[in-house]
Amino acid sequence: MHNRAAFFSLLHRLLLAAALAILAFYLIVYLAYAANLLLFPFDYDQGEGFELVDTILFSRGRWPYMNTEVFPFYSSNYPPLFHVLAAPLVSLFGPAYWYGRLLGFLATLVTAAAIGFAVYREGLAHANRRAYLVTAVLSGLAYLASNTVYHIGPLFRQHATMVMFETLAVVVLARALDIVSPRQRRAALLAGLLLIIAAGYTKQLAAVTLAAAAVFLFLRGPLRAVLWTALAGAIGAAIFVWMNAATDGEWWRQAILANVNELHILQTIGLFRQWIGLHGFLIAAAVLLTLHELYFDRLSLYSVWFVLAVLINGSASGTWGGGDSYFATAIAAACILSGVFAARTLSGGWHFPENYLSRRLVEPLKPHSALLRAAGLLIIPLLYIGYGRAVLHLPTQEPGFSQVAQFLQIQPNAQNGFYDSARTADGQYPSGYADIGHFVTAADAEAGWRIVEMIAQSEKPVLSEEAGFVLQAGREVVTNPTQLLNLDKKGLYDGSALIEMIERQEFGLVILRAQFYPERVLQAIGRAYRHTETVRMNGFNYLILRPADGSS
Amino acid sequence: MLNKPLTKRQLGWLLLVGGVAAFIGIIGIDILDAGREGGIGPAQQTALTFFALLALVGLTLLPLGDAPA
Repeated sequence: MHNRAAFFSLLHRLLLAAALAILAFYLIVYLAYAANLLLFPFDYDQGEGFELVDTILFSRGRWPYMNTEVFPFYSSNYPPLFHVLAAPLVSLFGPAYWYGRLLGFLATLVTAAAIGFAVYREGLAHANRRAYLVTAVLSGLAYLASNTVYHIGPLFRQHATMVMFETLAVVVLARALDIVSPRQRRAALLAGLLLIIAAGYTKQLAAVTLAAAAVFLFLRGPLRAVLWTALAGAIGAAIFVWMNAATDGEWWRQAILANVNELHILQTIGLFRQWIGLHGFLIAAAVLLTLHELYFDRLSLYSVWFVLAVLINGSASGTWGGGDSYFATAIAAACILSGVFAARTLSGGWHFPENYLSRRLVEPLKPHSALLRAAGLLIIPLLYIGYGRAVLHLPTQEPGFSQVAQFLQIQPNAQNGFYDSARTADGQYPSGYADIGHFVTAADAEAGWRIVEMIAQSEKPVLSEEAGFVLQAGREVVTNPTQLLNLDKKGLYDGSALIEMIERQEFGLVILRAQFYPERVLQAIGRAYRHTETVRMNGFNYLILRPADGSS
Repeated sequence: MLNKPLTKRQLGWLLLVGGVAAFIGIIGIDILDAGREGGIGPAQQTALTFFALLALVGLTLLPLGDAPA
């Protein structure tokens, strides 16, 4: 009997060490990816350059929400906070991608730390704190190991920063009502709600966290929920009205009206399947803890947040402009819940009060509690090992990683020799999944500089679908194509001034990638410009078009 | 009363009534908008399943009485 216990304990420790090693490996992959991207001087993810343009505008004290019918036909559709945070760095370092990518990367590290803290804090009153400490580390690493978090983290984009503010808000609010001192409790509630507002002004998708906080507060006391939600709403609305007045209504038009996009249900279904396939081990544990809270305990903010993030943001992932990144909030919530689930299992911290369900489901299992406890010691590390297998991603050609890939017999299924388990063996992936994650090469940078050279040779303004080339050439960025498309889809875009400029061949070059301009703008380009060459950079074909009359 | 935590039973009623109302509402869209072609699409089917489940969860919470939600 004693030998069997010792064997289980040893096996448990070995499996736990294996789980930690696997997730630590993904941290190394993540660090290498971030280091690789920081140095890349052009757009990596589609649209990054326009976020840099927004940041430059803020650094000059200008709003990026502008009338797209007049030259330079530019506007942003994102809230301002991420760009405002990065704006001082424009003054220090000039226009560059690295600091925005660094901010996004650091945001994911803060989020992982907050997830770990949330799990560890659940065990502060528990005798077995070690179990909570270990699972806290596993939970934080699990967040960074997610394929989705990995590939959106070190980008010049606001999504990772939004999730950071959301997670911090939830961690603050989850225990705010347990604070005995009324003054400290109010301070915690205010801090949590301000963090949610910060998340909302980083990206609109954070509305789900405000909804989760409101539901949670409602469960704990409806009157208090109404008062605090009204306060948060009033602060948020005051900022909104001020921004709208300061931009002559363009904030409302560009960031709200233009951002309501149609839903493609098949994309939603495809991304849900992929999300479950990759994160199923964490999701299963999160769902079990949520069910335990629903029927045997009190619902935590983490559970409410998880459910709403899955339902609302998950559904919205199928919208035009949406994608797998919309699951990042649900992934953060799943990491916290699965961490608490794991720690409770390892520490024997489950309690089932007497009710009709515990009589039917739990009582019959009580004679086997010792066996279940021993099984739990093995199942929990296996859960994280299984998760580690499901989210497998690594470069297969870089030094150090190529040996791992060889050992695991992995063939690349993405660009530049990258392997991503989110894709099929032949590289297919559901619509909406970001085609990134691979490392960039020196050849990619060279290709980018070749395009910059072409821009420099032109005396006229350049219409480029990605801003990075134009910025590197020191020219003015003209248009934000996806925003023109957003507006056009809502019937909010005329475009005659831009089309006239195109027809008069006033642009020296047109550079296309995804061709995300409104249809009639593309038709005008097709009539007035001819395709002269294609430059392949970062796995994408950049079409270079010159005026049909031969001028440039 | 308004500043007391909700009980499992109260939450159960909220989910049950909300789920049933939303289910009827979605069916109602098809009845009122009879000229529309295609019937109940995949998005509506998903929503109907979700709200039916929500009502069912609400129903299972009712016997849990005054335990805090």
